[in-house]
Amino acid sequence: MALSRRDFLKRTAAATAASYVGMSLPMDKMGLAQAAEVDKWHRGSCRLCGAGCRVELGVKNGRAVALRGVKDSRTNFGYVCMKGMLFYKCMSHPDRLTKPLYREKKSDKFREISWEKALDIAAEKFGSAVKEHGNDSVAYYGSGQALTEETYFFQKMFRGGLQTNNVEGNPRLCMASAVGGYITSFGADEPIGGYADLEKAHCFFIIGSNTAEAHPVLFRRLMQRKLGNKKTVKVINADPRLSQTSRIADLHLQFDPGTDLALLNAMAHVIIEEKLYDKKFVSDYAVCKKGKKVTVDLAEYKKFVAKYTPEAAARICKGNMTAESIRKAARWFANSKGTVSLWTMGINQRKRGVWANNLIHNLHILTGQLLKPGADSLSLTGQPNACGGVREGGGLCHILPGHRLVAKEKLRHQVEAAWGIPAGRIPPKPGLHTMAMFSAVNDKKIKAIWVNCTSPMQSLPNVSHYAKGMESDDVFMVCTDIFPTLTTEASNLVLPTAFHFEKTGVYGCTERRSQITVKAVDAPKGAMPEVWIIREWGERLAKVLNDPVIGQCLAPFRGLEPDYALPKAIWTEYSQKLTKDRDNDLRGATYEVLEQMADGVQWPAPTKAHALTGGTVKKFVRGMDPMADSHGKDDKPYQFYGPAHPDRKLWIWLRDQADPEEIPDASYPFYLSTGRIVDHWHTMSMTGRVPELLRANPYAFVEVNPKDAKRLGIKPGDMVEVESRRGKNVLPAKVYEGPTEGMVFVYWHDQHPDRLINLVTKDAFDPASKEPEFKICACRLKRLSGPKPLKPYIV
Amino acid sequence: MVRQQIIFTTLFIVAVALTSCTGKEVGDGPDASAAAGGHPPLSEQEKLIACADCHRDATPEIHQQWYDSRHGIGMVKCYQCHGTFENLAVVPEKSKCATCHMAAMDKCPKDKECSSCHSAHSFTNK
Repeated sequence: MALSRRDFLKRTAAATAASYVGMSLPMDKMGLAQAAEVDKWHRGSCRLCGAGCRVELGVKNGRAVALRGVKDSRTNFGYVCMKGMLFYKCMSHPDRLTKPLYREKKSDKFREISWEKALDIAAEKFGSAVKEHGNDSVAYYGSGQALTEETYFFQKMFRGGLQTNNVEGNPRLCMASAVGGYITSFGADEPIGGYADLEKAHCFFIIGSNTAEAHPVLFRRLMQRKLGNKKTVKVINADPRLSQTSRIADLHLQFDPGTDLALLNAMAHVIIEEKLYDKKFVSDYAVCKKGKKVTVDLAEYKKFVAKYTPEAAARICKGNMTAESIRKAARWFANSKGTVSLWTMGINQRKRGVWANNLIHNLHILTGQLLKPGADSLSLTGQPNACGGVREGGGLCHILPGHRLVAKEKLRHQVEAAWGIPAGRIPPKPGLHTMAMFSAVNDKKIKAIWVNCTSPMQSLPNVSHYAKGMESDDVFMVCTDIFPTLTTEASNLVLPTAFHFEKTGVYGCTERRSQITVKAVDAPKGAMPEVWIIREWGERLAKVLNDPVIGQCLAPFRGLEPDYALPKAIWTEYSQKLTKDRDNDLRGATYEVLEQMADGVQWPAPTKAHALTGGTVKKFVRGMDPMADSHGKDDKPYQFYGPAHPDRKLWIWLRDQADPEEIPDASYPFYLSTGRIVDHWHTMSMTGRVPELLRANPYAFVEVNPKDAKRLGIKPGDMVEVESRRGKNVLPAKVYEGPTEGMVFVYWHDQHPDRLINLVTKDAFDPASKEPEFKICACRLKRLSGPKPLKPYIV
Repeated sequence: MVRQQIIFTTLFIVAVALTSCTGKEVGDGPDASAAAGGHPPLSEQEKLIACADCHRDATPEIHQQWYDSRHGIGMVKCYQCHGTFENLAVVPEKSKCATCHMAAMDKCPKDKECSSCHSAHSFTNK
C-alpha cells in the first residue's frame, strides 16, 4: 500500500526538530512576488552580519523589490546569503512602526502621539531625571547595527550634552573580549589584516565560530579556498560542537566547553618544544607579559607553557581530543605558509574571553603568522557596525571617538575642543558597562534610558532578572526601532525609525572597512532617521535644561535635511576632527570617496589618495600602511604604533586555563551553549517577518547528542525542558551528532517565552571586557512529552 | 515495505515536479498557493517544514547532489534559488543565479540558461 502524501509528510516531520501537523499559521503574502524588473539598483552594504557584504537594492516605482551582490566588492565578490538576498522584504512589512507610541505607565496601553509631543516628552523626561537625580541617572544603550553617524551623534549628546559616560551598546555582548584581546596583545583594536588573507592562507584555525551559519559569505570564501586546494590547505575546526563549518575541516577538535585555554596553551607548548616558533620575529617584535607592567623573558614563558603538555591538555579538554591531534594542529598552524585564525562568540562570550583572545594571538606572535600575506589573527565581528560605529565611534562607556579612552584627560580635551565645548565638560569617569547599566536600572539608579536598534529584553543573559527593572515604572524607557520587539513592549515611548537604505550612513565591518549606504527609498510615512530624532530631541533638551552647551553640540547640524546632508555633516565632523592622527584615521574616507568605491575604504586612510586605493590592507606594515611610515620609530618593516603599547611591541601573554563560571554538577549535569542560526538574524524581529526565512527555521530547538538522548529517552521532536538555576525553556529536541556528549545547544533567535534561551543563560561576565558568558552555563534536561504543535511567535 | 512506500512517494513528487517545469513564478493570488510551481498542496503547518527535510527522502538523488555541492556545503538553501511555496520556481530564472553570480553573467552566454552549462544541484560543468 502506498504511503499517502500526508502520511509521508507527517513521517518526515516527526524526524525533524520542529514541524508538527495541526496548527494554522496565518502567512502574510507580502513580499512573495519576485521582482521581474527593477528601475534602478542602489549600492550599499548588507544590513545584517559583520562581514560587510556589498549589495545592490533593486527599486521599482520607489519600492524595494530585490537585492543582489556586488561583484566588484572585495568583501563578498557578489555573493550574498539568504538574509542578504531577502532582507528587503521586511521593509514594506505591515508591522513597520510609523507612529510614535506613548504611555505614562507600563501597565497602560500605548497611544499614538505626534512627533512634536513625543520629542517634548523625551526631552522633559531626560531633563527632569538629570535635574532631580544627576547626570548619571540617564543612559544610552545602542547597537552595532546603528549607523556610525547615529552612534556618534547619540554619544556626543550624552557625553557633551548630558555630561554622562553612560553610553553603551550591544557590542559589549559580542565583541568586547575581542577588543580587549587586540589591545592587550597588539596594542591597538581591530585586526591587522583582513579578508584578503583568506585566498592566500594555507591553514585556517577556526575556533569558537560556526562561520558557515554566522558569516555564511565569508565561509564560502574559506570553502572555495579549501575545495580548490584540497591537499595544500588545511582546516582545523576547534569547537565543542560539530557544526556546518566542520564540513570543510581536515581536523575537528571537540572538547568540553571552557577548556580551550588549555588547548591553546598546549599548542604553544608544542610550538616551543618542537622549535616551530620564529625566533627572529619574536626577538624583534615581541615581549612576554604576566601583567600589564610585568614583563618576563621567553624562558619564563617556556616554563609557563611546559605544564600544558598535549597529554595534560587532552585530559582537561576531553571530547575527541588526543595528544597527537593537538600536536598535529600545532604543526599545521606553525608550518603553513600562512595561517589565518578565525573566531567569534565561542571565544568572546566567556568569563575569560580576553584571555582566550590573547592565547590565539600568542600562537600568531610566536610563529610569525602575522603581517605577511595569508596570515592573520582575525576576529569575525557579529554585527555590521560594531567595529565602525561602536568601537571606533565612541559607543562604549569607556571610550570616546577615535579609540580614545575616557579616563585620559588629554584625550577628553581633544574631543571637547573638536566639539567646541568647554574643557572639562565630558566627565572623567567611565560610565556603566552594559551589565552594570541594566543592574543600575534594576536598582532604580537609572531613571531614563534610551534603547536604540536593539532588544535587551531578549538579548541580555539571564534576561528575566533584568526585565524586572526595564518593566518597572521606576525607569522611563525610550525605544527607537522599526518593528515591535520585546523591548518596545516594555517601553514608555516608542519612536519609529527609518530602515537601512531609507537613510544615509556608514557601516564599518570586521576588517577595518568603512562603507556607505545612501538613501534609496523613502521610509514609511511617519518613520524618521535617528539623526533627525537626536537633533530635534537635543534642541528641546537644551531648553528644558537651559543649557547652551547642548546647543553647541547641535550647532553644526542645524538646518540640514536629514536624509543626506545631516549624516554627511556628522560623518565629516567625526572623520575629519576626531580620527585625525588616530590609528583609525579616516580623513581620506569622505562621503565623496566612499561613494566612488565599490567596497569602501580600510583604515588607516589619512588621505584621499590612499583611500581611493581602498586604504590599508595590512596595518603596521611599512609600504602598505601610511601610519607605519609616518609613525615609524626604526627601520624595521613592521611598526606597532598602537596607542596601548608604549613599548611598540607585541605582547605574548602568560594566561592559564580558567574554568567557566558555572560547570555541570549532579543537579545540573549538562553544559548549555547558544548561537546563531543561518536563516535568522539575532532576535528575529526582521528575519521573522520574511516568509522564506521564517519558514526555514520557525522555532528554536535544542540539539542533544544521540548518546545523551538515548540515556534520557529523548527522541527527535520530543518536547524537552532545559532548565538552569535561572530559568527554563521547553523546546523540541533535535537529536544530532553536533554537541559533544554532555552538552546541549540552543539557537537564540526565538522570541517565544517558552523558547527564549536567554531566560536560561548566565550573566557572569569577563572581569576585563565585561562581556557576559552566554556560551557556557550548566543546565538539566527532562523529556516532557512527544512532539506537540508549535506556532512561530513574533511580538 | 516502508522503503517501497517512500520510493513510490518520491517518484510521485518527482513526476509532479517534472511535468510542471514551466520556469514561471507564481503570484500571490488567492488560489495560487495550491498549485505553485506544481508542488503538491501543503497546509500552513506543513509549509514550516524546511524543503530539504522532505526532499531528503522525496528526491534523494537531488538532495545528495545539492548536499555535496558547493551550495550544500556553503548553506545555500533550496528556497534561495527556487523560492518558497507560493513563489516556487522549479527551474530558477537566470536573475536568481545573478543574485550571487553577477560576475558569471558578464562572461557566460546571454542566450542560454545557466543549467544548460552547469548541472542543476551539483553545479559541475556539463
